[in-house]
Amino acid sequence: MTDTGRPEINMTCAEFQERLPELFETQKDLSAEEHLKTCENCTALVRDLEYIAQQAKLLLPIHDPSPTVWDNIRTAIRSEPGKESPGRSSAPSAGR
Amino acid sequence: MNAGPTQQKPANQHLRRNPPIAGEAEAIAAAQAGDEKAFETLYALHKRRVYSLCLRMLGNVAAAEDLTQDAFLQLYRKIGTFRGDSAFSTWLHRLAVNVVLMHLRKKGLPQISLEEALEPSQDDGPRKDFGDRDLQLSGSIDRVTLERAIEDLPPGYRLVFVLHDVEGYEHNEIADMLSCSIGNSKSQLHKARMKLRDLLRTGQRKESAV
Repeated sequence: MTDTGRPEINMTCAEFQERLPELFETQKDLSAEEHLKTCENCTALVRDLEYIAQQAKLLLPIHDPSPTVWDNIRTAIRSEPGKESPGRSSAPSAGR
Repeated sequence: MNAGPTQQKPANQHLRRNPPIAGEAEAIAAAQAGDEKAFETLYALHKRRVYSLCLRMLGNVAAAEDLTQDAFLQLYRKIGTFRGDSAFSTWLHRLAVNVVLMHLRKKGLPQISLEEALEPSQDDGPRKDFGDRDLQLSGSIDRVTLERAIEDLPPGYRLVFVLHDVEGYEHNEIADMLSCSIGNSKSQLHKARMKLRDLLRTGQRKESAV
């Protein structure tokens, strides 16, 4: 088990990696972490995980759905009971 | 709508990916009063993000369009209950996430409960990494490769990863959307990134072996 009072420099890889989710949340520069100064393996891991998170931010947007999606929605809502006041009547179950 | 967690964060935190949209508030009010044109405006403003979520979760254009349609029909039925306790896009996304999860359950992804979705089996989870630094990902992953690897994630990991790392939602918002704890969301995100690293490195090894 991780001993949170243990000096970082003596941390095992398992202990460091258990702390990683919280460390990433701090959004600090993790290269200052003592464990990483002496552990190439965890350094590579942190670099890869940071890289994955950075690349993911570049993925949006995809593109729009085809125009038929809105056509279908419009048709469906025009046939909904109580369409003049959406959300205020008891909603029927989903399904087309 | 559970407004608790979203009210505790700094006022501008959700603006990172949810900037105010001109005309949105008016369109919401008009749509709540039954204005179809206003509802079409809301669809135009949010269709891409809802569709992106569905497509990333399902990996299939036809199914993603069907679920986008379902999500907006749900929105039409429920928009009267939106009270503005959180950003509209977060509220809509929560609704879309529920539609996706319902679909996954119906598809027989074996009786997938939210808890199960968020906690894949041991076989699907990431391995601990205490060695093997022969491959570095940095600089080597293109968009298509990453998209494919995301498709291969177990659904629960994929959902949290897409919501946080791709769409920019905070853990408190994700916890609210998925009715899980903030700690659970953080833990699943970390496991998702670790699993993605496994998948990407495995792909690289296969490529280098050819």
